Amino acid sequence: MRAKFSLTPIGITVLALLLLGAVSLTVSLGYDSSILAFIGLGLIFWGAVLLYIKPEASVSETLLEATLSPSLTTLNQMIQDLGYKGDATYLPPKYFANPDTTKIYISKYRHTSLPTPELIQPYENQTVTRTTEGLLTTPPGIQLSKLMEKSLGTAFIKTELKDLEQKLPKIVIEDLEIAENIEIQEENNQTKTKENPAVPSIETRNITIHAKITKPIYKDVFKDDDSSQIAGTIGSPVCSAIAIALTRATGKPVRITNIRSSEDGNTIEATYMIIEG
Amino acid sequence: MDFPLSFWDISLFLAVTAIILLVTSELLSPYYGKTNLTINKKRLRNVALASSTLFLVTVAIKIVTIIISP
Repeated sequence: MRAKFSLTPIGITVLALLLLGAVSLTVSLGYDSSILAFIGLGLIFWGAVLLYIKPEASVSETLLEATLSPSLTTLNQMIQDLGYKGDATYLPPKYFANPDTTKIYISKYRHTSLPTPELIQPYENQTVTRTTEGLLTTPPGIQLSKLMEKSLGTAFIKTELKDLEQKLPKIVIEDLEIAENIEIQEENNQTKTKENPAVPSIETRNITIHAKITKPIYKDVFKDDDSSQIAGTIGSPVCSAIAIALTRATGKPVRITNIRSSEDGNTIEATYMIIEG
Repeated sequence: MDFPLSFWDISLFLAVTAIILLVTSELLSPYYGKTNLTINKKRLRNVALASSTLFLVTVAIKIVTIIISP
């Protein structure tokens, strides 16, 4: 996109620098003065640099949070009113005919198994799908995850988990500047489930990812209602975008099992569980 | 009416601006703190790298000139 030149304070400064530089350089040619030439060259150079690095259109964080908050509240109210009290699971691309689709599945009750891809696929193009067993909807971090994918330069589905863990801090901190710091730790857990005493217990290996995010954007989005389902299991757009990245990179369903926010809201610790099998 | 600056003068100018830009770019990096400045930090880094590369090119030209001159 071409930079537009407008008469803002920066625009006026750039114009003044360029004009003074041009005058100084022209005079230096007439008087054969190297000092004036240095000054002219410097002014033109810094004028050009300032024009090139001038800020892009930006919106204050408070305004962003204020505009996002109602849609998250609506989603939360809708989930509560419809009585879906189960865990929110980020579904991987194998659940959809179009691999670019990402949805969250919220079951009606807690500790229920996930539906099969065949049951999900007919509803993948709908914004919100309500069934007797669960609710299928678009996660709040979907657009942010697409931006992250763009910064990564490749699709998350073509990335290994180890690669993603290494590259995610650069994307979050340096490229998109959506947080001041992010620390990611992986943990392998072995869990034994024994639902029926007659059958032997089933051993499953789940990968847990801990993400500690410092000063993320949208940190105050759940300030008024941090006990809501969205705050607890779906997450803010940043936590949600990370969950999408994980589910797409691993190709496995991901659940946010815990989100803890510090008192001042500057640090968020989220635990993601990658569900095997 | 000749241009009053020599090749070495331009090289010196590039060296000074490259140092200023590289230090500024590093200080504004999201890893080291001052992140609330709304300038395009990626472009600043690119300008810093470009000017330092240009300075190194001028140094290389001068070295080659010294070597090949009798």
